[in-house]
Parts: sequence; C-alpha cells; structure tokens
Amino acid sequence: MSNQNNSYGANRRKVETPHRSPVIAGVLSAILPGAGQIYTGQIARGIGFMLLAASMVGLLLWARTTHEFEIFQGILIVMLVALVLFWLWQIVSAVWGATNRKFASSWGLILVLIFTYFLGWQATEVNLRKFFTEFSDTFTIFTRVMWPWEAAIERPEELTTIKSPWGNPCPEILSEAPEQTGSESSGVWVMVDPPCGELGSYVVGEGLKEGTMLTVRGGGFDPNDTVEIWWEDPIGQEFQPRYQGDTVSTTTDSQGNFEIAFSAPQYQTPATAVGMQVHKVEARQVKSVGAPILSETVSLAFGRMLITIFQALMATTFGIVLALPFSFLAARNLMSGNPFTLAIYYGIRFILNVTRSIEPIIWAVIATVWVGLGPFAGVIALTIHTIAALGKLYSEAIESIDPGPIEAITATGANWLQVIIYAIIPQVIPPFLSFTIYRWDINVRMSTIIGFVGGGGIGQILFQWINQTRWSSAGIAVWMIAFTVSVMDYASSELRKRFV
Amino acid sequence: MLKVEHLTKVYDDGTVALEDLSFEVPENAFMIVIGLSGSGKSTLLRCINRLIDPTEGRILWNGEDITAAKGQDLRVVRRKIGMIFQQFNLVRRSTVLTNVLSGRLGYTSPTWSLINHFSPADQERARAALARVGLTEKVNNRADALSGGQQQRVGIARALMQEPEMILADEPVASLDPVLAHSILGQLEQLNKEDKITVVCSLHYLDLVQRYATHVIGLRDGHLVFEGTNRDILNMTDERFKDIYGQEAERTAAGSITG
Ligand SMILES: Nc1ncnc2c1ncn2[C@@H]1O[C@H](COP(=O)(O)OP(=O)(O)OP(=O)(O)O)[C@@H](O)[C@H]1O
Ligand SMILES: [Mg+2]
Repeated sequence: MSNQNNSYGANRRKVETPHRSPVIAGVLSAILPGAGQIYTGQIARGIGFMLLAASMVGLLLWARTTHEFEIFQGILIVMLVALVLFWLWQIVSAVWGATNRKFASSWGLILVLIFTYFLGWQATEVNLRKFFTEFSDTFTIFTRVMWPWEAAIERPEELTTIKSPWGNPCPEILSEAPEQTGSESSGVWVMVDPPCGELGSYVVGEGLKEGTMLTVRGGGFDPNDTVEIWWEDPIGQEFQPRYQGDTVSTTTDSQGNFEIAFSAPQYQTPATAVGMQVHKVEARQVKSVGAPILSETVSLAFGRMLITIFQALMATTFGIVLALPFSFLAARNLMSGNPFTLAIYYGIRFILNVTRSIEPIIWAVIATVWVGLGPFAGVIALTIHTIAALGKLYSEAIESIDPGPIEAITATGANWLQVIIYAIIPQVIPPFLSFTIYRWDINVRMSTIIGFVGGGGIGQILFQWINQTRWSSAGIAVWMIAFTVSVMDYASSELRKRFV
Repeated sequence: MLKVEHLTKVYDDGTVALEDLSFEVPENAFMIVIGLSGSGKSTLLRCINRLIDPTEGRILWNGEDITAAKGQDLRVVRRKIGMIFQQFNLVRRSTVLTNVLSGRLGYTSPTWSLINHFSPADQERARAALARVGLTEKVNNRADALSGGQQQRVGIARALMQEPEMILADEPVASLDPVLAHSILGQLEQLNKEDKITVVCSLHYLDLVQRYATHVIGLRDGHLVFEGTNRDILNMTDERFKDIYGQEAERTAAGSITG
C-alpha cells in the first residue's frame, strides 16, 4: 500500500510540476476564466471557474435587462464589483497554480456568494419594510382566521312586525285619511300621527324639501329591544327610510312601547297616480329565540371536509390497486431474469419516477381540464401520484425481502402458490401496510390543497371564502383542516407503530 | 438410499461449482461434507433436493432417478427431505407455530393454504415437534424474538413436520457459538440415531466433524477430494486436512478448521 501511495504521489508531482508558464496561465485566465487552470492541468477546477464566470456574466446581463423586477443601481454595482474581483482572483489562482504554490483562498467562493445573494434578494423582491409596516393591516384578518368562532354559531331569530297605512297627499276631507288600524290579536300595535301628509322631494332649484314630520307610536313589543322603522310604498316595495342620515330605529321601554319621530321619506310618486296613495309604515323587531346553533358555514365546511377525506380514501384505494401490479414489475429481484423483463423494469421505473416528480397539484390542474372541476378531478390527481409513489415504495419492499424463507418453504415441498402465501406475503405485508398508511396520511394533506385549483373538497370552499374575504369562514375551514390532519397524523403514526 | 452420479453444476455465469461428483450416502448415515468456502458444499446440498438444477449427472433417491422430477413428483420427493440452513431461513414476522406448520405444506392442499388452514392433526404434530426441540413455551412468539439457537431449533422442528427420511443441513451451526453448536448437532444426532433419519450436513469445524460424523466427504473446487468414515477422519493428520482445506487452513486453538 505505502509503495503504491509513493508512486502515486510521484505521478502527481510529475503532472503538477510541468514547466508551465505563470504568465501564459495568467493571460489565459484573464481572457477566459478557468482557461489558465486547465492549461496548468487543474481541469475540474478550470471548468468549474469557467461555468461560474459564465453564469455570473449571464445573470448580470439578465438582471440589467429583465422586467421581472426593478433592480437598484447599487446592487448592480455590487454584483459587477464581485464579478470583477472574482475574475482577478481566479487569475491569481491560475498564476499560483502554474508556479505550483498552494492556493487555498476561499475569497472566490465568498465573492460568488455575495453576487448570488444580492441578486437573489432583488429577484425575490424581499422587502423588509413592507414586511413589518404592513403587518398591522393583516393583523385583523389574521385574528379573524385564527379566532373565527363568531362565524361558527347562529342564533335563530323571530321577526315581529306590524304595519299601519299612511296617505299621501292628504285628502280634501281629512276624515278620509287612512284609519290607524295597525294592531294585531297578539297585542302588537303601531300608529302614525298624522295619518297623512307630504313626502320628501327634491325640487330642481330649490333643493331638498323635507316631508311631513311623523310620530310613530307602538306597543306590545319585547321590552328594551330595538325596533326598526320600515317603509312600504303603494306598490309594496319596502325600504328603510333615513332621517338625518341614519336609518330610523329606537328602543322599546320596559313596557314594550316606543315612540319615534322622523320626517316622511323622499319618494317620487309616479305622475300617473291619481288621488291619495296609501303607503305603509312598518315597525319591526328582530329577537333571537332559542339556543345558538352551529352556522351554515360550519356544516358546509364539515361536509366538504368529509368529501376531502373520501377523496383521500378513494385515491389511496385506487392507488393501492393500481400500484400493486406496477410494484412487481418494478422490483429488480423479480425482473432481472432476462433482458426482456429487465427492459420492462427500466421502463416502469422511469415512468414511475417521472410521474412522481410531478406534484399532485399539477396533476389536479390537468385533471380539471380532463373531467372538469370537482372532487373527481382531485381523486384522479391524487391517484396518479399515489400510484407512482406507492409503486416505488412497494417495489423496494419486494426488492428487500429475504430470499431465505422462499428457499426454505420451497424445500418443504410447497408449490409456488404456497410459497407466495407463506414466504413472500408475510414479508411484504408489514412494509406495504406501513407505506399505505403513510400515503393515506399524505393524501389527506394533499386533498385539502388540490381544491385550490378546482379539485373539490374543503380546499375549494376555502379558496372561495378567501376570495370573498370571508375571513372567519376561511378560519373555520383552516381549523377543520388542521384538526383533521393532526388526528389522521396521530392515528396513522399509531397504526404504523403496530406494523413496523 | 441416496446416490449421486457424475454430478456437475455450471452456473449461468460460467462458474463450475461442482464437477463430476459421485458418491453414495448409506442408509442412516450422518454424513458431513467438508471443504473450503466456495468449494461447492451449498451447491451440492441444493442439487440433492433440486433447489438448484444440476447441469449433468444423476441423483438417485431410493433407487429412483429424481434428476428431472417436476411438479407433484418433485414435491413428493422434497417433502421427504428436510432442510435446515445457516441463517435458519424462518419467516421472521410469523409466529413460531406458523413457521413450524409451514413444514407441512408439502402434504397440504394449496386450497387450504389459501385460507391459512392446517388440520388439527398437523397442529398437534407441530406442538409435538416443538416439544421435541424444547420450545413448548415459545409457540406463539414471533420467530425473530428468539435467540439464534432457538431459531435453529424451530428450523429443525419445521423439518420434522415433513416426517423426513433425510435431513440436509447447510452449515447449521456456523452462526452459533460452540455450546449451541453441540446442542444443535446433538439434536440432529438424536434424530439420526433414534428416528433413523439420514443426515447430510456441511460443517467447518474439525472437532465437530470428528465428534458427529459417521461418514465424511471432502470437496475442493467442486471436486471430491476425500471420502471416508469416522475412523478415517479420527486418524487423519493435519497435513491431510490441509490438503483438503488448502494451505491457509489451520487447526485453531478452539480445535477448529477455518476455511
Ligand atoms: N447463484 C450463483 N451464481 C453463480 N455462481 C455461484 C452461485 N452460487 C454460488 N456460486 C459459486 O459457486 C461456487 C460454489 O459455491 P457454494 O456456495 O456452493 O460454496 P460453499 O462451499 O457452500 O461455500 P461457503 O462455505 O462459503 O458457503 C463458488 O465459487 C460460488 O461463487
Ligand atoms: Mg455455503
């Protein structure tokens, strides 16, 4: 051994001490980075420098001209300086190399890193000022997402309402004005005083003309609760009149009575109307009855969560069934028998590798084009990725089985079916189960995401709520995902412990 | 009972593992096969029960040529020949009982095997076999929860399920320490003496060969270089051993020959 080492060392010295000219090495490197190194025999180093310099020049040109981001002059200058220094540094390295002096300086590497990170900072548009100053705007959204429970409950409500007629304009004979009949057997009543009058109007040149001041009295409502005044025009359209810029509402007293004054709203009576038109003044009280119940949002999110779990279930199941045949074809120990099966092995391996390297979310986009938006697209996407992933894991499990038991069981006089049942299956079942549970876990996570690109399930509704800025609803979906994923995570790790 | 005639095995890659081997295993012999690593011991044992197909020559079992036996015929031959291995070759995750029962597969209909069913008689036989090797308490343990010596005894129990006329043992004690080695070979000797089961066993250690063999054959590079009885081996000099094992072989302090 020591002999070999010595002769090897001698050889190396012979290669490294050719009479190379430092001048030529330096000039070469000055013209083309790395060329001097190649000239002195440091081929790998030379090629490395050449590629580094070429990429730095290329990146610098790209940074100067691209419209992807705005680059600051200062940063360009830093990059340029780093490049120039790197250029000089590698010239020195070439000269030193030619004179066979040790050159272990790491400055070149530092320059390359400076160049890279300055550009990287700009290219990804890192903005610390924004990061800190604009956080407060996000904070309200963030708190609503993290604490969304107000959207989780709803209180059933009951509407108490009563209307009383009101005439416009007032008839010649005042007694023909609408009688105040606004009462009900339940004891709720409302009256308008006066029973007729003028509506508010806008007269060009004179401006806004207020309507008659009205006093609305009512009773029989729930005490100490809000009553809103609504207005119904002669054709039955309802609206909330405004008085001094606000909707008209008041609070009942302890007997459930109220009194409120406002002016008749602005309203354009059609020119074709003849005589007194009967409007209606309405008093409304909304009160919550019964216990709070889970909101629509929760039941919607819950349903979608179930769909998501089913997506994961279907995809995992389809994936297992389809991965099994592939896994046997992709197991080297089963396929290395002859060149034909070996070719199949390489083919399947290649397909599985390519398929697996494409993320499920991309498969989901393809699948939505294929079968349209919805959960099925998600199932297809997950199934494809599951086949690829499990196919590989299963085949590795098959490859790592111990051939000993196969030999031993064969030697007892068992036939091939018995060999499979007693020697192969017991060996592959535990790893298969373990991989399958692991995959199921991944599929649950993935299926919550693929909805964002139209793959159905909870992801889709979450994406919708985010777009509608319904942050509390989104928060409920987020919590539901977090809960489900962690439960599945825990359950699957417990299950896996049993099998591995 | 077992006769090997002009046996030659050439592997697919051209390795000549056995060449023109002829010998006879007398009824009820405890025959030990010795030879350096790579001399062809494992290949020979596997040719006998046809785990490996011989390239040339014949194997006669009870006067019947089994060299080309196939399918059910081969199964019937195999189930009368038990085999135990250096690495025990148990299904590690299965229970001891399942491992032992699997020795009965040559007698079981494959249809029953589909649902993992063994007859009550077979279950009884398995418990008896385990009792015989002293593992009654371990019936329901997983095979890999046992020590090496215990695993090899499970291997013996599995072979016993075959009600074998012959047991092939490929270096059954090479993974065990000397005390366990004696216990395992003692078991085999007992089967040989009491149950009249012929044993063909490959071994590395000289003292064990001298202690247990009734007959010995020596292999070198796939050739038969020695054939003799226990008396011959007791009288054998170290020089003669070196002749079989090659110049590297030495009698170690522990009294063994290493290949
Ligand atoms: N499957 C195979 N393909 C090709 N050559 C093989 C194969 N199995 C064994 N051989 C070769 O055949 C020769 C005999 O091997 P064998 O395993 O029978 O020897 P052995 O005496 O059992 O050795 P050991 O004491 O190491 O177990 C060796 O040269 C070995 O390399
Ligand atoms: Mg061997």
